[in-house]
Amino acid sequence: MKSREHLLKVGVSGIRGVVGEFLTPSLACALGHAFGTYVGRGPVVVGRDTRRTGPMLQSAVHCGLLAAGCQVIDIGIAPTPTIQIYTQSIRARGGIAITASHNTAEYNALKLFNAAGLFFNNYERSELIDLWHQSDFYQATNREIQTVTQHLGRAPAIHMDRVLKHVDIEGIRSRRFRVAVDGVNGASSLMTPEFLSGRLNCELHPINCDPTQPFPRDPEPRPEVLGDLTRLVCETGAEVGFAHDPDGDRLAVVDETGRVLDNDDVLVMAVRAALEREPGPVVVNLTTTAAIDDVARQFGVPVYRTPVGEANVVEGIASARARIGGEGTGGGVIFPAVHLCRDSYTAMAFLLQSLLTKGCSMSQLADSLPRYFRHLGKVTYRHGTLGPLMQRLEQRFPDAEIDRTDGLKLVWPDRWIHVRSSNTEPLLRLAAEAKDEQVANDLYRQVQDALADSA
Amino acid sequence: MRSGKLLRISQVGLRGIVGEGLTAAHVIDFSSAFGTFLEPTGPVLIARDPRTSGCMIREGVLAALLACGHRVLDLGIASTPILQHAIHRNKAAGGISIGASHNVAEWNALKFFGQGGTYLSTAEANELLDIYHLRKFRYCGFESVGKAEPLPNALDSYLDELASVFDFDAIRPLRVLVDCCNGTSAPILRRLNDRHGFSFILINERAQGSGFAHDPLITAETLEFQLAPLIKPLKADVGFLFDVDSDRVGMATESGQALSEEWMLPLLAEYFLPKLEAKLVITNLSTTMLVDEVAQRHGGTVLRVPVGRQAAIDALATYRPEQIALAGEGTGAVMLPQFRFVYDGIASMLAVLSMMATRKQTLSELVRGYSEYHMRKAQLPLTTTRVPAMLSELRARLGGGRANLVDGLRVDWPDRWIHIRVSQTEPVVRVIAEQRGAPPDELFDSVLSFVRSFA
Repeated sequence: MKSREHLLKVGVSGIRGVVGEFLTPSLACALGHAFGTYVGRGPVVVGRDTRRTGPMLQSAVHCGLLAAGCQVIDIGIAPTPTIQIYTQSIRARGGIAITASHNTAEYNALKLFNAAGLFFNNYERSELIDLWHQSDFYQATNREIQTVTQHLGRAPAIHMDRVLKHVDIEGIRSRRFRVAVDGVNGASSLMTPEFLSGRLNCELHPINCDPTQPFPRDPEPRPEVLGDLTRLVCETGAEVGFAHDPDGDRLAVVDETGRVLDNDDVLVMAVRAALEREPGPVVVNLTTTAAIDDVARQFGVPVYRTPVGEANVVEGIASARARIGGEGTGGGVIFPAVHLCRDSYTAMAFLLQSLLTKGCSMSQLADSLPRYFRHLGKVTYRHGTLGPLMQRLEQRFPDAEIDRTDGLKLVWPDRWIHVRSSNTEPLLRLAAEAKDEQVANDLYRQVQDALADSA
Repeated sequence: MRSGKLLRISQVGLRGIVGEGLTAAHVIDFSSAFGTFLEPTGPVLIARDPRTSGCMIREGVLAALLACGHRVLDLGIASTPILQHAIHRNKAAGGISIGASHNVAEWNALKFFGQGGTYLSTAEANELLDIYHLRKFRYCGFESVGKAEPLPNALDSYLDELASVFDFDAIRPLRVLVDCCNGTSAPILRRLNDRHGFSFILINERAQGSGFAHDPLITAETLEFQLAPLIKPLKADVGFLFDVDSDRVGMATESGQALSEEWMLPLLAEYFLPKLEAKLVITNLSTTMLVDEVAQRHGGTVLRVPVGRQAAIDALATYRPEQIALAGEGTGAVMLPQFRFVYDGIASMLAVLSMMATRKQTLSELVRGYSEYHMRKAQLPLTTTRVPAMLSELRARLGGGRANLVDGLRVDWPDRWIHIRVSQTEPVVRVIAEQRGAPPDELFDSVLSFVRSFA
């Protein structure tokens, strides 16, 4: 069966859709109106990435928020973590980011944050959606309607200040790292040069840092699309290269040889850098590499695992009072001392800090990590067959330790595989990992075959 | 049921009490209909009056127009005539004026203009309404979503156009008092003072979003109690009072005598008819017969159309522009021969000042020498559903006169007339009578008591 295309999705973090036919100004306005009604009359922070459809949707969101009696704090083009941090720091009622993150340019989305700058949790979200469905909006009168106030520039400064409290600024500044950056012409296009060059005194070689231009590559910073950055690293002799997604929450890292590092490895390096400064518990999702456990063991701290999804990891970090956490595949580092959000700026700062402390190259740093091999992939299935599929898989591998918190994770001492269904499509996502490449590949294939047999 | 309407959607646009009647969703949908209706032959211009709710409505209008792929030029706070001039000058596809003109601050409205800054014809307005009701909007793909930018200097360009028509040097010495009613006339007149060396004395100048200094409607009371008493103490040569939108205007003479807004059209006819080849004056059935007297004096013809801007606009379209001298209403809103697309109170005021300057006469001297007309106006609640029966019985009773059934019933005698019609905007019967020499009390009172008793 052909998997259905989701041109409009009301989901975990807000609504996302193809702009025009599906994500319309009336939908965005209604959601803004519902959001304003839910959070109450007061300031609401709104920012966006650089998509062409951003200003249109932002106006629609403003219209809804103003109609609900909220004061709109417009911070313009800003990375998602910056919006979250600013929402919290000015004690706004909530925040809205207009960005479809790593999705391609025809998509856009509204991401909703509460007063703490956190993604709406399940309860908040369902209450909001109920309000929306009932069109039960607060209708402010002429006297109650407030204005749009622009706070340009302040939000990035607050974000950068918070991050830089946790690294040796002077050390990094005087080391004058040579760094290449691919900003994908996204929301980080202006802030990242300021961060790396202005604040951290790096010798910067930027490409794709023009927020007025369209995305020059696939916006998700996968290794296959980072050819320009790897070439730039090699040509300029940069010690490290960073690639953003359009809203600056994900980060891809290229070492000085032009190799794109594995996202899980980037997380492990950031975790190690954080624990070196101060140890504490670590929270990651079930699909994240076991190298995390090895690193945590060195510092004698526990690792807690949550279902996949930023909201789940954030909740886990909060309840475990963790020092750091994140999700490997999403390329996101969450460092609660800055904010409970996925933040590429914290990741960049920690990596530069590690290079400084260890006095080695990026490739040496990556190679010093515990070595695991991963095999990732997807398998489609028919709607309604998921339960039996998972049960058969359990029966097929009776010797494995089983974790059912999010789909099915089968764990052996030397290997594991995680099988979970996508939230948006009839797809199973598979991730297998082992110390030995052959073992990882074999495990992946066994499970793939088992799924094919049952289907 | 509440008395009074909260929302009205009609050929003249969208109008309502913000929150209770007019909501963000209406704004988005109606503007989307307009964005769908307009052919993208040029940019679309928007402007608003200073009402607080204007900033909410502006965001919705902007979102909808951008989503329909239009390039939007935003004039910010500007009067409707400035917007119309800018549409004309910039060869725009059309425009939207956000503002509720003479209504109190709780109201707001959208008014729509086509190419050349003209009002929509009835056919166009009906098409717009059909698109709105059908709700099939032409939102474009993500790559062609429009962009917005401010349009600066619209005010100065407008003043330059006025300066090319009126002799500013001749009228500059006049000492003119203006009550701006906290509306869009204030920045225009302030700019005339600063940029063109006028010395208008402005009261109620400050732009206010949540309430006006007094009733924004121009009535005998506002003229007599707000404007006229200030003339003598301030030693002004003449006084004007604008509505919030500055398309309607009333006057007071140098001796502090209030001149009803009915005076504007006859006065301008007196000024322009002798100078023009065109001899046609278009007005409505409820406007003073002083217009006929003035027209007769200068060989002009008066065409009377049903009450309401729409009928006048359709009438304008059926004549060649060079045939039309003036179009106007008893409200003081007049379309001058130099700008045959806009009812503009500022231009009317400048014409009156030019007349005073070139004839070297005071306003009271200018209005001397005409027959004295006495007008009585009343509105009664609409209690009958048999309006046609009521009107035909009235026609029989008023047998001696010449009857006109184009808009309700109007009966004319050589020295008096009476007009009985049902309002298009409220459930009331409006009765207006006028007589030369003495008040038309007998006629007026007998018709009023008939209408009251008719069930």
